[in-house]
Amino acid sequence: MRMSHRAAALSAGLFLAALAAPVTAWAAAGDDAAERDARWKDLQQSIFGNRPVETAKPLVRMDLPDRANDASLVPLTLTIADKDRIKGLYLVIDDNPAPLAAHFTFGPAADPEELKLRVRVNTYTNVHAVAETKDGALVQTTQFVKASGGCSAPMGMTDEEAMKGMGDMRLKFADAAPGKPIAATLMIRHPNFTGLQMNQVSREYTPARYINRISVTYGGKNVFVMEGDISISANPVINFAMLPEGKGPVTVVTQDNQGGRWERSFDAPVASN
Amino acid sequence: MHRSPATERLRGAAAAFLVACLAATFLTAASPADSPVDVPEPAGLWEGALQGYTPKTLAGATVLDGPQLDALIAGGSVVLVDVSEAGPTPPNQPAGRLWRPIHRAIPGSIWLPGAGSGTLTPPEQAALADRIAALTQGDRGRAIVTYCHPDCWGSWNLGKRLVGLGYRKVHWYPEGIEGWQERHDTAAIHPDETWTRRAQDGAGP
Repeated sequence: MRMSHRAAALSAGLFLAALAAPVTAWAAAGDDAAERDARWKDLQQSIFGNRPVETAKPLVRMDLPDRANDASLVPLTLTIADKDRIKGLYLVIDDNPAPLAAHFTFGPAADPEELKLRVRVNTYTNVHAVAETKDGALVQTTQFVKASGGCSAPMGMTDEEAMKGMGDMRLKFADAAPGKPIAATLMIRHPNFTGLQMNQVSREYTPARYINRISVTYGGKNVFVMEGDISISANPVINFAMLPEGKGPVTVVTQDNQGGRWERSFDAPVASN
Repeated sequence: MHRSPATERLRGAAAAFLVACLAATFLTAASPADSPVDVPEPAGLWEGALQGYTPKTLAGATVLDGPQLDALIAGGSVVLVDVSEAGPTPPNQPAGRLWRPIHRAIPGSIWLPGAGSGTLTPPEQAALADRIAALTQGDRGRAIVTYCHPDCWGSWNLGKRLVGLGYRKVHWYPEGIEGWQERHDTAAIHPDETWTRRAQDGAGP
């Protein structure tokens, strides 16, 4: 189903009405940092309410390029210092239209030391990673990234081509060693349409269709659940690690906002000496 | 599935066009001189897709690069007009989804989304002329800069309209927001309320 041009115009109008509400005085050049900080305070309030978010000793290190080559495919690595204290991780791309890019909740089978994923960045923005500890504290890390247009960039193929094989999943394991965490790479075929990508031929916006939940279990124990949105790049690739004690298959369930659901089980690797 | 040769030709043209658009998307802050194709100025307004390679010139107006824009702004009393399109709000959003679109542009700009269209209705044209007259306080000698993004016809079209309305110091900044943010801070701005209200009142049958 496609959005007609008129519907697109109408929703653009609604968008305008929403934007027009708070009219601020012109920001003079140099107010940028303060303005970005105000934006984050507002997002923080929306996501975490009145819970304090600490900045003093970050629990997460974030590696992403200062300037991205491709704004729709920005590689991001999150390294967690005190991994046994961590319960979950929020990734917020402040100036994306849907700023909460992902929320990971780790389970007992996770080794949450390192996560890698690829994201869309819509304009020069701060990116925040907020770790949530098991005792309920929130600790943030931030980095500025220069990239723009990542949420509206068309995929360079027809929607039908982009959706071919949607939900196909692959899981690759690094060589397992006894007693060591098992590193895994999850690849999912899915266009993760943002709803902001205009088909340049039809001049219509492709409706949003994005993965909103991925769950990974190992032998029935939870590794992680990721709640996602349009800021995750098309054809998501997520690197993560599991604790080696698991017994049984690794099962991945992927769901999207249009009711799509895909499930697949993989054999976990057997450690060799 | 059978497809007619015409359909195939159309598909081929569409694919080539998509490739061009994709190339345009990744050419951040491309100056018009970087355009791989030499685009002639159309006689009137550009009525095709607003994203695409633009001409290097705009008859009756001055084309600015970054340093020239900086100098013009430093001189004061410039009306900066951003005609970037506003993104759509996806319908049927799930409850509780955090949706906070933001538009960053040159600080001090007036944002007139949709004003770069080559096919404005007569009421929209009148609303635009009124708004520009108000913003320039009726002074057709006032410096005006139009911009949006690289490879965006919207700002070219607005520049063309303003020349047609008799403004004598029309400037077009084709590098747009992406060019600006390479060198300066941007500011979050909101659509101009007067324009939005008039454009909505005047739009549609």
